[in-house]
Amino acid sequence: MTSQQTQPAQGQTQRTGRDMIVVEGVSKWFDDFQALRDVTTTMQEQEVVVVFGPSGSGKSTFIRTLNRLEQHDAGRILIDGIELTDDLANLEAIRSEVGMVFQQFNLFPHLTVQRNITLAPQKVRHLPQAEAEELAMQLLERVGIPEQADKFPAQLSGGQQQRVAIARALAMQPKIMLFDEPTSALDPEMIKEVLDVMRELAESGMTMIVVTHEMGFAREVADRFLFFDDGQIVEEGTPEHFFTDPQEDRTKLFLSQIL
Amino acid sequence: MQAQLSSLSGPLLARRWVQKNLFSNRWNSVLTVITLTLFAVIAYNLLRFVLVSAEWESVDVNRRLLFLATYPSAEEWRLWPPLWLFSGVAGLAYALWSRVSRREIVILGASAAFMFLLLAEGSNGALVATGTLIAVGAYAGGRRLRETRYDTTARRVAIGGGVAVLPLALILLNAGDGVRTTVWGGVMLNLTLATVGIGFGFPLGVMLALGRASSLPVVRLACAGYIEFVRAGPLILWLAMARFVLPDFLPTVGGLDEVDLVVRAMMVMAGFSGAYIAEVVRGGLQTIPRGQREAADAMGLNAFQTTWYIVLPQALRSVIPALVNRFVSLWKDTSLVVVLGFVDLLGAARAISAQPDFVGRQAAALLFAALVFWTVAFTMSRLSLRIERHLGVGER
Repeated sequence: MTSQQTQPAQGQTQRTGRDMIVVEGVSKWFDDFQALRDVTTTMQEQEVVVVFGPSGSGKSTFIRTLNRLEQHDAGRILIDGIELTDDLANLEAIRSEVGMVFQQFNLFPHLTVQRNITLAPQKVRHLPQAEAEELAMQLLERVGIPEQADKFPAQLSGGQQQRVAIARALAMQPKIMLFDEPTSALDPEMIKEVLDVMRELAESGMTMIVVTHEMGFAREVADRFLFFDDGQIVEEGTPEHFFTDPQEDRTKLFLSQIL
Repeated sequence: MQAQLSSLSGPLLARRWVQKNLFSNRWNSVLTVITLTLFAVIAYNLLRFVLVSAEWESVDVNRRLLFLATYPSAEEWRLWPPLWLFSGVAGLAYALWSRVSRREIVILGASAAFMFLLLAEGSNGALVATGTLIAVGAYAGGRRLRETRYDTTARRVAIGGGVAVLPLALILLNAGDGVRTTVWGGVMLNLTLATVGIGFGFPLGVMLALGRASSLPVVRLACAGYIEFVRAGPLILWLAMARFVLPDFLPTVGGLDEVDLVVRAMMVMAGFSGAYIAEVVRGGLQTIPRGQREAADAMGLNAFQTTWYIVLPQALRSVIPALVNRFVSLWKDTSLVVVLGFVDLLGAARAISAQPDFVGRQAAALLFAALVFWTVAFTMSRLSLRIERHLGVGER
């Protein structure tokens, strides 16, 4: 599991340049409310993209369309060359390639930490139990809590739970990891432990899309920022661009509010 | 306060307790006196009835009637093997799944012993002893196998055995000349109907609940329709339908004129309890946060896996008390088969008053029937508490 691409975070230049996610003209409505307006962007393999914007701007909806937790109503989404459609076989293939970490962790409270991690590899990838358990232990080592394997989620702190959730997503050996505000539900003292794990993951070369307002962290690990407002990508560029020379008024206003 | 109290002598302590808890002010004193008087009167009358005036002889000589009613003596051999299998499975399962609690073993043991005593009349002593030995032996064996490498195998044997009890009973009852089901009766009939009602009603209820929560309109409507339709009528009505109307709707198989009456009663029991269980389970399904499904979806689990591994275990756990409530009430509802002409436990108890020796004296028999119903119901509720506590680990 420990993919040994010891590539520095600022290694954009070394990226393969292969398109991992292609989003073309995607729109999404909730009844009358248009949550996404004609969103178009491309993300490359090993790229780390941070998505931010005011609440209700569509940023969560956007990353949830990438593994079809939300269906898009117009446009096209290609994940590693496979188009997201209603085809169930396609969908399950894509979902096992795309890991997701939620704001509320969404661990399974009735299963032990280890079982939370081994369930999908065993049932979806048909990994034998012994191998799945070994994998779980490796991942728990990686996120720094191997001693919690036999506990239940409710016995862990928020930060520990979120790290288990990351380990659980990694257990499917995804090519892409989506993070939907992974630290927003955490007490301040636990944010760092989760960000550390994510930083390590970014450095290992994982393709990541992160919705977050932890701008210090974002500036450090991101290759690119997407600023969402009103269901649209208002501005995109490198972190440096955003911190030194934002173009749009809405971007400037929002940055001034959160920084 | 604690130190002061503990320095007091026993009788004085008791007096303090009485003063504080029963006579703390005038109003409480009045309540205490009234309650205690009522309690004393009831207790006195009950005790006098149980110890003096009740004719327990009417129960004693009619144990066979109460247990099997109209079931012929010559065919009793057919009942013992499934009963033994059940004893073995019960002993093994308890040894494998529960953590030891002496109090519960006493409760379960007492209720089992009570049932067996009921059976143990005349020549049955040895057969009952066999059943008891099997149960105890299976329990001891289970304790020894637990958490060894045979643990999983033993658990599979227990589950397999449990599933096999009913088929075994049905095979034996039909072997050779067979026994007409119309003569089934007594406690045995109540137990069989309740077992089938729960055994089939529970999975049916779970499926109906899942169907009602389905995104497919046809499935959702069909399930909701079934539930609302079945719940609209009293059980006694459905049983009457089973007798008079259902035969016209059911296909006839293997040259039979119509589907067996007991089978029809079982269908009604299962179908009726299924509708109620479905609503209980639906309540459980609604307690599962949306994020649980999303997390399972995001990991690539398919719809069945998500339901089976994530949603159902949590949903069912959260409604165990309500489910057991349904099971207990189904157990007692089995008495309603009296409308089909069967003589169940309650029917047998009432029949005693028609016997020449005990004309008009049914009080003892009725009290006894109540005791049997209570024993089984109480056992169920204790078991459910145990399961609840057992599954409570890791609850959020």
